[in-house]
Amino acid sequence: MSADFRNIARAVAWRSVHNFLTNKALLIPALIFPLFFFASFAGGLSAVSNVPGFDFPTGYTAFQYVFVLMQSAAFGGVFTGFGIARDFESGFGRRYLLAATDRRGIIAGYGIAALLRAFVTWAVLTAVALVAGMQIDGSPIDLVGMYTLAILVNITATLWAAGVALRVRSIQGGPLMQLPIFLILFVAPVYVPLSLLSGWIHAVASVNPVTALLEAGRGFISGEPTVIGLAFALGIILPILFALWSRGGLRRAEAAG
Amino acid sequence: MNAENSTKGTAGTDGIEAIGLVREFKKGPRAVDGIDLRVEPGEIYGFLGPNGAGKSTTVLMLTTLLPPTAGTARVAGFDIVKEGPRVRSAIGAALQEAALDPLLTGTEHMRLQTSLHGLGKAERERRGGELLERVGLTRAADRKVGGYSGGMKRRLDLALALAHEPRILFLDEPTTGLDIQSRTALWEEVARLAAEDGVTVFLTTQYLEEADVLADRVGIIDHGNIVAEGTPTELKAEIGRPTVEAVPCNPEEREHTAAVLARFGEPADGAAKGAAVLLSGGDAGLAEVVRALDSEGIKIETLQLHAPSLDDVFLAKTGRSLEGAEEAVEETEDERAEVGAAEPA
Repeated sequence: MSADFRNIARAVAWRSVHNFLTNKALLIPALIFPLFFFASFAGGLSAVSNVPGFDFPTGYTAFQYVFVLMQSAAFGGVFTGFGIARDFESGFGRRYLLAATDRRGIIAGYGIAALLRAFVTWAVLTAVALVAGMQIDGSPIDLVGMYTLAILVNITATLWAAGVALRVRSIQGGPLMQLPIFLILFVAPVYVPLSLLSGWIHAVASVNPVTALLEAGRGFISGEPTVIGLAFALGIILPILFALWSRGGLRRAEAAG
Repeated sequence: MNAENSTKGTAGTDGIEAIGLVREFKKGPRAVDGIDLRVEPGEIYGFLGPNGAGKSTTVLMLTTLLPPTAGTARVAGFDIVKEGPRVRSAIGAALQEAALDPLLTGTEHMRLQTSLHGLGKAERERRGGELLERVGLTRAADRKVGGYSGGMKRRLDLALALAHEPRILFLDEPTTGLDIQSRTALWEEVARLAAEDGVTVFLTTQYLEEADVLADRVGIIDHGNIVAEGTPTELKAEIGRPTVEAVPCNPEEREHTAAVLARFGEPADGAAKGAAVLLSGGDAGLAEVVRALDSEGIKIETLQLHAPSLDDVFLAKTGRSLEGAEEAVEETEDERAEVGAAEPA
């Protein structure tokens, strides 16, 4: 990694994080959104855990915490994509393209910012979940595994959204970034384990990569790790694929001027 | 223009040289149609033309923001396609629309820009403060840019372009939309940069006065082609001599006036109430004209000297006036969809 790459990435990340932390219009929705989902799912739907066959001794709050953690990781990446699209629409992206001797550093900078934003969101989410009585049965190493998966989800989503944003270069590309993430998250075992799903949703959820990530995450928080190999394989392969996708987007943005 | 003559040799490490530069867009004609140009180190080169003529597209290519469809160019001695990163480290650019973040202050913009160029913390602070002072923004440095006026934004954009002490500066219509005071201040700063710091300046403009006042040499572009190039004086001299027009107080003395004026040059058209001649001795002949009219006892109501302007040059070269030549449609993002462009470096 060259010094130029690091300088660009650091500068781009600094601006994004600075704006996130100093602008209430960006900060508050990013915090409220996952908390709202957490409160709705873990609170309003807690009776779901009483249905026969629902076997998750750590409790429904922890069950939903893992989903909201992964969801906020993914949507954090999408919101970063919105920022990239806005920057290129307003012309600010050109400032980066003009100054960057190694333009890959621009994507890395947005990626770092997305991760730092996610850390802020997760800190608040975790604090709220603990206050709400969330039980954690996993060891510290299990929790490292769970948060590592969340980080990989965030990186994947950021690279996906960056690829779209750099191709469309307009905030009008927002739905295109958001919709696939939204769909893939909600055709997974969100409210109940996979074994309790039936029909088409079970068939789709069985092949949905998010299912493996959720099951691994829930396994970590309950201290009974499961499908770790598949989850981490996805967590490594998907960022590589989407890194290529976002690099292609950067080339398109470079070619479009 | 003759490519062989204009591109002979190299423009050195601080110059610009383009040969047959072309940029084609999918839904439009060639925005830039094979231009050749050469800018010497330390020179202010004015690139003059109406909207849609290809000025901004040329700047985008020379600053590595847009790959050319054909042709080559070297900026600061580096090829714009093959050595993009090295070009970018040598240049600064303030593009047509100042790309600023309304949520950041002036100081924060300087911090961002200097960080992008890898300056250390101490150097960042020194350079940022120095540049903000130079463009007169010290007092507004800690205000969010969203509250800046157009002139302040332009000045900040210029300061940002200078953050890493570039050897070549591209300014794309830097004074469009500015009031006269802001425009003059910016002209002074650009002139100082070239004269004192030796920065090569490539300046696009649609203002004749701006090119006339600032540029050492001017290239006039129309429909993607350079139609004239030279110093403002050379270009004006190329198309003709100044005209003097005299209107006598007494209309009956019109013929007498014409006869006196005829001593100083060939008669010219366009003087309905008086007489006009093309001064064969140039501007210097005006004093003699005044003396001659006075000695003949002709009382003059108005006496006007019409020196050829760059607009006259544009008119002579294209058959249209520059001020009336603006095309309604600027280059749009749609038009920028690339057609067979080379991959950028």
